[in-house]
Amino acid sequence: MNQRDLELLSAYLDGQLKPSESAHLESRLNSDPQLASVLTDLRATRNLLRKLPARKAPRNFTLTRKMVGQNPPLPRAYPWFRLASALATLLLFFSFGVNTVGRQMASQAPAFGMGGGGGASEESTELFSAQEAPAAAPAAATEVPAETEAPILEMAPMPTQMSTEAADAARIVDTPVAKNAGETENAVTADQFQSPAPLVPSTWQIALAAIAVGGMLFMVLVRQISARRWK
Amino acid sequence: MNEQALIQDAQGGNLDAFNTLILHYQDSVFNTALRILGDEDQAADASQEAFISAFKSISSFRGGSFKGWLMRTVTNACYDELRRQKRRPTTPLEPDTEDGEEMDSPRWLADPNMTPDQKAEADEVEHAIQHCLNNLPLEFKTVVVMADIQGMDYTEVAASIRVPLGTIKSRLARARLRLRECLQGFAELLPASYRLEDGINVS
Repeated sequence: MNQRDLELLSAYLDGQLKPSESAHLESRLNSDPQLASVLTDLRATRNLLRKLPARKAPRNFTLTRKMVGQNPPLPRAYPWFRLASALATLLLFFSFGVNTVGRQMASQAPAFGMGGGGGASEESTELFSAQEAPAAAPAAATEVPAETEAPILEMAPMPTQMSTEAADAARIVDTPVAKNAGETENAVTADQFQSPAPLVPSTWQIALAAIAVGGMLFMVLVRQISARRWK
Repeated sequence: MNEQALIQDAQGGNLDAFNTLILHYQDSVFNTALRILGDEDQAADASQEAFISAFKSISSFRGGSFKGWLMRTVTNACYDELRRQKRRPTTPLEPDTEDGEEMDSPRWLADPNMTPDQKAEADEVEHAIQHCLNNLPLEFKTVVVMADIQGMDYTEVAASIRVPLGTIKSRLARARLRLRECLQGFAELLPASYRLEDGINVS
């Protein structure tokens, strides 16, 4: 028996032959016992397969939302809030970064620095080291009140030459008496000038922070509400 | 069950609708996987994977037999599982020939040196058939499982595994012949009406 006959018999078994092909095969089956025997075997095999007991699924294969990675539907405005919040955060960090760089640049400039808003405090601190002595010296010698320091300090653009003179003056009057006299005032002024002035955020920085925080809170809230509704 | 409405709902992302379809078809899907893989645990895993994959790609279903579409998904999941096994091979139950090839001849089943466990397992007709199915090449096994065990018609099988109708006819005929030869090794287990005669020589 050849492959073609085998396919014909198999298809005949399943009723897949054309009527003419079936009639021709049936006449051959009547005259060829071997062919008929193969057909019987194929039929028995197919019946065995059909009799195989169908097993029940060992468990339900139903899916959960987690299994298919489904997330609760979010409002259409959600992506816009996310974008606004992200932009506000970025701008906020950027503005603080610019201020910090501005302060550093201002502190590096020797005098007349246009260091922007944040540069003032460091400038003052640096100048203080130079002006401390003249401020202390009059305190020891002439009992000039400490308030006189303020106008001096406010003269931010001090020439470099002056700071040298001031240092010399400090060395001259650096006696225990002078030290004792100026101690209290020095302590106060050092406290004032050694720590940099706090960075005060501008209105628009506060607004950016509010947008960033508000946006994040809104997103968390929307997610929770959506998840609750979805369940 | 309004299958069409459930499919449309599932295509819209309705998981509950798809779960209703799963409950309807899960036994068929599991049985197909079981007969292709021959192992219950692997079949359960493949069925679960198939349903997950089916839900994710249900938008690609363009009508026709949903069962056939599901069968393709589960067959693909079984192929993936078999490929995984191939990458991490285990010791085969079947002995090797002298050439090192896996022996797929049924004659070894008559070997008196079969272990008691193997014999006890082979004592049941179902196990005998499953054993013979396991020995079939994958493409034959898929066709015979779909056509003879799941009762799908030729066109449905052809559409499901995307091969021409003529190929389905040819594979099914050859699969049945191989199964018949294999089952001869279990002649004493088979009911009298299913006893098979010796010797079909196909050239």
